[in-house]
Amino acid sequence: MDMSAPLATVPLQILLVLSDGPVHGYGILQGVREHSGGAIKLGTGSLYRHLSKLIGAGLVAELRPGPSADPRRGSSFRLTAKGGQTLAAERDRVEALLASLNAATRRVRRGSV
Amino acid sequence: MTPDDLYAILLGLYPGSFRARFGDDMRATFAQDRAQAHAAGRRSTAAFWVRTIVEAAMCGTSERFQLATRHDRASARGTGRVMRAGFFHDCRDAFRAWRATPLVSAVAVVSLALGIGANTALFSILNGLVLKPLAVRQPDTLALLDGGEWTNPIWEDIRARQTDLFGGAFAWSSERFNLADQGPTDMVSGAYASGEMFDVLGVHAAVGRLLRSGDDVRGGGAAGAVAVISERLWRERFDASPAAIGRRLSVNGIPFTIVGVMPQGFFGPDVGTLFDVIVPLGDEALIHGAESMLPGRLTWWLEIMVRRKPGQSLEQANAVLRAAQPQIRAATLPPTYRPSLQEYLKQPFSLVSAAEGYSSLRQRYEQPLTIIMVVVGAVLLIACANIASLLLARSIARRRELVIRLALGASRLRLATLLLLESGMLACAGAALGLFAARVGSALLVRQLGAAVFLDLPLDLRVLAFTGAVAAVTALLFGLAPVAGILNTAPNEILKEHARTVTGDRRFSFRNALVVLQVALSLALVVGAGLFLRTFASLTTLPLGFDAAPLVTVNVNVQRSGVPAAGRAALFERFRETATAVPGVSEAAMSSIQPMSGQGWNTIIDADGAPAGGDRARQSWVNAVSPRFFATYGIRLVAGRDFSPDDREGAPSVAIVNDAFARKFVGGGNPVGREFRGRIGKPTTDTYRVVGLVSDAAYRRIREGMVPTVYLPISQTRSSAAMAMTVRTLPAMRGTIESDLARALGTVDGSAAFTIRPFDTYLETAVRQERLVAMLSGFFGALALALAALGLYGVTTYGVSRRRAEIGVRIALGAEPSGVVRLVLWRVGWLVGTGVTAGMALSWWASRFISDTLLYGVTSHDTPTLLAAAAVLICISAVAAWLPARRASRLDPVLVLRET
Repeated sequence: MDMSAPLATVPLQILLVLSDGPVHGYGILQGVREHSGGAIKLGTGSLYRHLSKLIGAGLVAELRPGPSADPRRGSSFRLTAKGGQTLAAERDRVEALLASLNAATRRVRRGSV
Repeated sequence: MTPDDLYAILLGLYPGSFRARFGDDMRATFAQDRAQAHAAGRRSTAAFWVRTIVEAAMCGTSERFQLATRHDRASARGTGRVMRAGFFHDCRDAFRAWRATPLVSAVAVVSLALGIGANTALFSILNGLVLKPLAVRQPDTLALLDGGEWTNPIWEDIRARQTDLFGGAFAWSSERFNLADQGPTDMVSGAYASGEMFDVLGVHAAVGRLLRSGDDVRGGGAAGAVAVISERLWRERFDASPAAIGRRLSVNGIPFTIVGVMPQGFFGPDVGTLFDVIVPLGDEALIHGAESMLPGRLTWWLEIMVRRKPGQSLEQANAVLRAAQPQIRAATLPPTYRPSLQEYLKQPFSLVSAAEGYSSLRQRYEQPLTIIMVVVGAVLLIACANIASLLLARSIARRRELVIRLALGASRLRLATLLLLESGMLACAGAALGLFAARVGSALLVRQLGAAVFLDLPLDLRVLAFTGAVAAVTALLFGLAPVAGILNTAPNEILKEHARTVTGDRRFSFRNALVVLQVALSLALVVGAGLFLRTFASLTTLPLGFDAAPLVTVNVNVQRSGVPAAGRAALFERFRETATAVPGVSEAAMSSIQPMSGQGWNTIIDADGAPAGGDRARQSWVNAVSPRFFATYGIRLVAGRDFSPDDREGAPSVAIVNDAFARKFVGGGNPVGREFRGRIGKPTTDTYRVVGLVSDAAYRRIREGMVPTVYLPISQTRSSAAMAMTVRTLPAMRGTIESDLARALGTVDGSAAFTIRPFDTYLETAVRQERLVAMLSGFFGALALALAALGLYGVTTYGVSRRRAEIGVRIALGAEPSGVVRLVLWRVGWLVGTGVTAGMALSWWASRFISDTLLYGVTSHDTPTLLAAAAVLICISAVAAWLPARRASRLDPVLVLRET
C-alpha cells in the first residue's frame, strides 16, 4: 500500500466504516454499500483482498472473536491508531485540495486566468 | 450441494495462505450476503451468483498472480514458481484476446452455453428420473415386486411373512384425493400406504410423527383416521405452522387428523410424483365404503416393495419369496371357479432392485428422453464444429502474431498450450452459463411432462461431472483445430505478404471436413424430427369416431350423499336431467367409463360367431351408459334403437354393440336381435339381446384404434359411487358453461363432488409424450439446420475470400456473373453432396434405435421422409451458399488485382 498517494475509493470507504467502531465482515459490506448509495458494488472476495492489504499496511487489525461470539458472523475488524492517522491525513489532504479548488474557481470567475 | 459448499469450492481459486487466514470469515460473510440477496428475489439471487463467480475468479487469480510475482522478485528463478506466474500471465492474455473480439466471443460463448445447457438440462432430468437413488436409508437394499400391481389379500399375506422372508416390506397405491369439503373438487396427489412404509424406508417426520403399523387397521386404527402431509402442502396451505398437527383434513369427504409432516427431501417411493397426502391403507375402507378395494381378490392396485435382510442377496430374496408362493397363492385364491384362474399367480414372483424407486413416468419417458439426449448431443457437435471453424478463422487472422512469437523463441508446444487455454476459457464460460440455462430449461421441460409431475432435479455431483466432461470434450474438439493449424504452418509462408495464389484451396481441408460432418448430422436430425412430427400428426388426426370439440366432462362422485347403491341410478339420472336443462347444453349423458381417460372395463364374450381361441381372442370392452349417450358424443346409430327408460332393472338384459364387435363376434352381419352371453359386472353369466348397432368410437387409447365395445344400460348394471357425465355444448361456450354446470349440479345434491374439465384435456394427455418428442426434435432439428447453414455460409465466404484473385482474373477475362456463381456453388455442392450422402447412411443406421412404440403411422426406415429431409438440406445449403457466391460474382476485378 503506497502511503504517498491518496487512498483509493474502496479502502477509504472501508476505513470510514471502521471509524465508528469494530465491525464484522458482513457489516463492512453493508456499510460500504449504504455509504456509497449503491455505487460501489463490493463482494466478499474483493472485500477481503482489500482488508488483507489494509492489514498488511497496518491500518486495520483483526479482532479474534471471543468465546461467546456468534460463529456465523465471522471475526471483526477495527481501525488501528495508524489507520486513524491515515484518515486524518486524508481529511487534511482533501481540505487542502478543496481550498485550492475554491481559490481557482474564484480566480476563474473574476476572469484573471 | 448447498450454496455454501459451492462457495467453498470457489474459495479454492484463492491461494492457500489467503484461504487459511480469511477462509472461515469469508464463508461467514458470504452466507449473510447470500441470505440478503436471496430474500430480495430470484433475479437478485441470480445477479448475486454471477457477481460472486466473476469476482472469485478475478480476485482469486489476481491474488495468486501477486503472490507469484512477489515470490519471483524475492527469490531466484525457481522454475515452478515462474511457471505459476507464467500460467496466470497466459490466462490474462487469453482473456484479453477474447475481449479484443467481443462479437466473436459472444457468439461462441452463447452458442456453447445453449449447447451445453441443453445437454445438461436433459441429463439432469435423466438423472432425477432414472439414475438418482431414492432419498431414503440404504436404497440399494430395496426391491420392487415386479410384474404389475397386486391385490390387498396378497399384500396382507406377504405382510404376515415379512419378518421371515425379508427385513421389511410395504405397499402403496397412488391416488388423487379431494380435499374440498363439498362442491367443486380440490384434487391433490396422494397415496394409500401401509403402516410400516416410513419405518422400512427409514424416513423420520419433520414435524409431528409419521404413520405407524397401529394406524393401518381396516376402518381406522387406534388413533382414528390419521394422515400425513408433504412439506410442500404444509407450506402452501398451513403456512408451515406447527399448529397444523392435529388439524382436521377432509379427504374425499372423510375427516382425517393430520399427525405429521414428511421431511422436505422425501418425495415418496414413486419417482415423478410428490405425494401431498398419505393415508393408511386400512383407511381406504373409510373412503370407499362399500366399494372398498381391500377385500377384492381380483382387484389389482397395490405396489409392493421389500427391503432385503442384511446380507441377503437379491437372488436369495427371490428364492425365499418363490418358495412361499404356493402358500400365498392358496391363501389368496379367489373363490369363484373359472378356467382362467389357473393363470392366477402362475408367473413366479420376481423381485427387482429398486434403489431408484418405482416410476411409471420412467417407463413412459425413458426411451424418448434418451433419444432427445442423443439429439442435443448431435446439436452440440454441430455447434462445436461451427466454433472450431470460427477459431480456425481467428487463428489464421492472428497467424502473423503467432509466427512472430515463434520467431521470438516460443516453442510450438507453448503456442499450442496458449491456444488450448483460450479454448478452455471459452469452454468454462460456456459451461457456467450453460449450467444456469440448464436450470431454467429442465424446469420448463419437467412441466411439459405433465401437470402433476414432480421431479427433484438437484445440482449433484453427477450433473456437475457431466457438465464438466462435456465442457472438456468440447474444448478439446474445437480447441485442437487452431492448434493443428499452428503446428502445420510453415512460418516463412505466412510472413510473405499476401502471397497471391491463383490455385484453389486444397480439396480436403479441415474446415471442409467440418462442414460435411455438420451437414450429415443435421440431415440425420431432420429425418428424426420428420418421423416424430409425422407420428404426432398421425395421432392427432386419427379419427376418434366422435367429435371432441363440443364436449365437457364432469366426474360426479356421490360417495358422501348417503344414498344407498340401489338409489344411485336415480340420483345420477337427476344429475343428467339437470345438466340437460342448463342453457347452452344440447345433450348430456352418463357413463361408467369416461372414454379416453385411461380407465377400462373388459370382459369375455360367448357368442355363436365368436372367434375360436382362448379368453384373449374373445375379449371385448364394456361401458355402462345412459340414454342419449350416443347423441351426446355424436356416435351414429346404425341400426336398432338407443336405450330407453324401459330398459330398467328387472327387464330383459339388453345391450348395444359397435361395428367392431359385430365384425368380431357376429361375422359382420346385422347383430340386432342376436344374443350373446357374458359375465359382465355381475357374479353370474347372463344372456344379452342386442337392440342397437352403433358406429365405432375410440375407447381408451388413440393408438388402440376402434375396439369392440359393448354398451349396457346404467339402470341394469350396479352403479359405483363415481360416474362420468359428458355434456355437449357449443365449442365457444365450453369455458363459460363450467360455472353454470357446477351451480346447477350443486342444487341437486350439495354433498356430491364434481370435477369439471373440457374433453380436450384427455386428448392432450393421451398424446403428451408424442407431442413432447415431436416438439423437441422439431426445435432441435431446426436449430441444427440453422447451425449447419451458418457453418456452410462461413466456409463458403472463407473459400471465396481465399480465391479472390482467381475470381478477379476470371471476371477480368470475361466470365459471366452467373458463371462465377455456378463455379462457387459447384465447389460447395461437392461438400453438401458428400454430407447428404453420409447423412442418409447415418440416418438409416441410426433408425434402428427408434423403436416402433415411439412411432405411429411411419416406420423408422421411411424413404419419403429421408428424401424430403435431403431435399430440405439441399435447399437450405443452396441458400446459405448463394449469398457469398453472389457477392463473389459482383467483385470488381480491378480492385482485386490492385490489392498488394
